[in-house]
Amino acid sequence: MTGKTSTGMRKLRIVLWALVVIAAGGAGFLAYGPKPTGVSEVEAIYAKPFQLVDQNGAAVTEASFLGKPSAWFYGFTHCPDVCPTALAEMSALLEELGPDADKLNVVFVSVDPERDTPEIMKEYVEYFDDRITGLTGDLAQISTMAKDRYIFFEKEPMEGGDYLMGHQASIQLVTADGRFFGTLATEEGFDTRMAKLRRLIGQG
Amino acid sequence: MQKLILALAIAVLTAPAQAHDFTSGSIFIEHPMIQEAPPNAPVLGGYVTIYNNGDVPERLLGIESKAAEKVELHQSVVTDGIARMEPLAEGMEIPAGATVSLGDDGTHAMFIKPDRRYQAGDEVAATLIFENAGPVEVVFNVEERSAKAAPNHEGHGK
Repeated sequence: MTGKTSTGMRKLRIVLWALVVIAAGGAGFLAYGPKPTGVSEVEAIYAKPFQLVDQNGAAVTEASFLGKPSAWFYGFTHCPDVCPTALAEMSALLEELGPDADKLNVVFVSVDPERDTPEIMKEYVEYFDDRITGLTGDLAQISTMAKDRYIFFEKEPMEGGDYLMGHQASIQLVTADGRFFGTLATEEGFDTRMAKLRRLIGQG
Repeated sequence: MQKLILALAIAVLTAPAQAHDFTSGSIFIEHPMIQEAPPNAPVLGGYVTIYNNGDVPERLLGIESKAAEKVELHQSVVTDGIARMEPLAEGMEIPAGATVSLGDDGTHAMFIKPDRRYQAGDEVAATLIFENAGPVEVVFNVEERSAKAAPNHEGHGK
């Protein structure tokens, strides 16, 4: 009877020590293991290198848009509704930001560089707002950029040889050091989008 | 219903300037409109509200216009964050007694390769082709894009 109890006690003691070891291991993992991904820990995907051309024909790189928070939209000029709406809404947001608009880079990247030349981009973006930068260039560069940034786009052929583009619908918000911050979507309404932009700018 | 109210509100608002509607039999076509686009835009988005006052379903099969190389009926859909466009292969149905708008659920008329730049205030003549009512001549008014004119407009509706 006594022997049985002491065996039981020993088993319990082993179990308890095992739990201590596991707990210690867990604490060690939390302290030294991989960090959970928070906003400040996100990889700076917008700091990955690229070379494109702006609407004035000038060469730009990732460095051209770091140092300030930024808002990026990926679209194309042969787009009757989603793209012009996004750009018009972006212009309205810049208007509402007033002088704070200077604290933000707004960039429209063509996912259809074969048709969207810098001249076409210039007339297109400046119609909406000359504070918006239009980027185009080599398709391979744009594909790499999109892949680096988890942006989807693809060509969708239509009858008669024309094509449309499927593309990321939302605007991507990015911190000054090139980290993903959030998105803006049309259906959110103006006030929500405005609040997000102010938060992005406030964070710097 | 909300759309009908909106359509009526637009009708009332625009009425003093010009009642912009067209009728053919039991089809009532209200305010065909093209949103102004950048000067070099290769495509223009067109919108229109159609009320079928008849007893049988009607269908908008297509739109023709000399102002563009061609006009297609499309629907933009956003799935999993990706915007895509699909042709409305079957056109757009307007059930008996119903009001349907090109503009609902991402639908639009895409005026491809317009013959010149169209600015707010311009008019674009076009023909709506219906399954039963046949061709109906209309005029699309070119208007300023609303997000620019009224930045707070959307916020109120939500």
